[in-house]
Amino acid sequence: MRLESLINLDRRIVYLLIAIGTLLPVLMPIGFRVTTTAPVEAMFEKIESLGPEDVVMISFDYGPTTAPENTPMAEAALRHCFARHVKVVVLALFPIGGITMAGEVLATVAPEFPDLVYGRDYVLLGYKDGAQAAMKQMGVGIANVFPRDNAGTPLEELPLMQKVQTYADVDLVITYATNIIGDYWANLVNAQFGVPVAIGCTAVSAPKFYAFYDSRQIIGLLGGLKGASEYEHLIVSHYPELRPAYSQAGIYNAMRGMDAQTVDHAIIMVFILFGNIVYFLILRRDRRASRRSA
Amino acid sequence: MTEVIGTWIGAFLTLCIFSFLYKDNPFFRFAESLFAGVSLGYYIGTVSTNTLGPNLIRPLASDFGGNAHLLIPLLLGLNLYTRYVPRITWLSRLSLAVYIAYFAGINMVQKLQGEVVPQVGSTIVHPIGGSFTPLDNLIMIIGVLSVLVYFYFSMEHRGAVGAVSRLGIWFLMLGFGAAFGYTVMGRISLLIGRMNYLFLDVVRITGQAL
Repeated sequence: MRLESLINLDRRIVYLLIAIGTLLPVLMPIGFRVTTTAPVEAMFEKIESLGPEDVVMISFDYGPTTAPENTPMAEAALRHCFARHVKVVVLALFPIGGITMAGEVLATVAPEFPDLVYGRDYVLLGYKDGAQAAMKQMGVGIANVFPRDNAGTPLEELPLMQKVQTYADVDLVITYATNIIGDYWANLVNAQFGVPVAIGCTAVSAPKFYAFYDSRQIIGLLGGLKGASEYEHLIVSHYPELRPAYSQAGIYNAMRGMDAQTVDHAIIMVFILFGNIVYFLILRRDRRASRRSA
Repeated sequence: MTEVIGTWIGAFLTLCIFSFLYKDNPFFRFAESLFAGVSLGYYIGTVSTNTLGPNLIRPLASDFGGNAHLLIPLLLGLNLYTRYVPRITWLSRLSLAVYIAYFAGINMVQKLQGEVVPQVGSTIVHPIGGSFTPLDNLIMIIGVLSVLVYFYFSMEHRGAVGAVSRLGIWFLMLGFGAAFGYTVMGRISLLIGRMNYLFLDVVRITGQAL
């Protein structure tokens, strides 16, 4: 086989191998060991320090296009808050699907905690346009931005929102972000109102948020599917009662997703090595040929 | 039954999009156009029901006098549409001017206070202090300085400056490599999500309905 044909391998062969590498672990989970990192542990410890008197504001700033990364982390942290009976205020600032994602995650997780009551223990405020303007105004009054919750109930009729008026009443903000809205929570809300912020972001934007984590503008960071799997591992380890949510056959979670992720990364690394070896073989062959002709 | 039909439509559209991996085809273009159209429709619906309704129309309808100040953003918004009337197109620029001025002002403070100052502050570290090890601090100091030299174009990159500049390129390449690695992880995560949908969710939801 000529070396050129190897380096110009049909890309569809790569796609096929990646598809197989993804599908097999999805159908037959391997169960690779999950190790945790400091940014994820920091967010976990922060929620561990909260109790029934504390309030966490969760902003769904992503849509269906990044749901496989963001939804597992959103479900995990929401379960953690609910398991500790921390009060939760949910909202969405991402226009294309943020409120749908918030509704879906709440619909999945809330029924697992039948003792929690809507309006008293958690609320869904809904979606609001104009991210920065909405964030800035919530510092003055959340009801100025969300006069009613997602179902149309006036905020003054919800017991939880009677005590949560501004950021001063919030102990932690968590944003699940797919784009620049995550930055705003750090560089606007944390910087101007001093609220601790944690970010669960897509892997693509994780390198940027490490800078915010290192400068302590955010107290925790879940980067992509890996960050989500670490958080799932932490809550499963610390809260045995939450294990059933992660042991159901056929239900997607980040820990299972990381099996496929690991296999795919191995395939990609093999192809990178393969491509480089063939490249250097061609280079050596051409140099020898040019020496001979000289 | 509605959920099953919706799930199968989702599966069909996913396969339409995946078909592009083989080559461009009408199924892919149909799914792509449908996605763009549905996204826009969704956005209009969400903004109408979640923002315009509760924050503008309902307050004006329930207490017009008490909420008369809301007429200002309403008129500014409607004024944007004058750009479609050739004789008074210039009027729309007034609304745009207010919009741009607001976000320029908010961004100026936000970027300086929330990014420039804290990021510069966290870069100015004592070599053997702070939350990192001395080696981490040394790498960060060398990295920041060499990358800054790489982007310093008022001096020719020769001799010592050239050597530091080349070191800066190495740091940049490491940064790009880390970013690209994360990008690969992100894209693979989305593929994993779709595979779960096609091979687990579709089967489970269909099975439950039957």
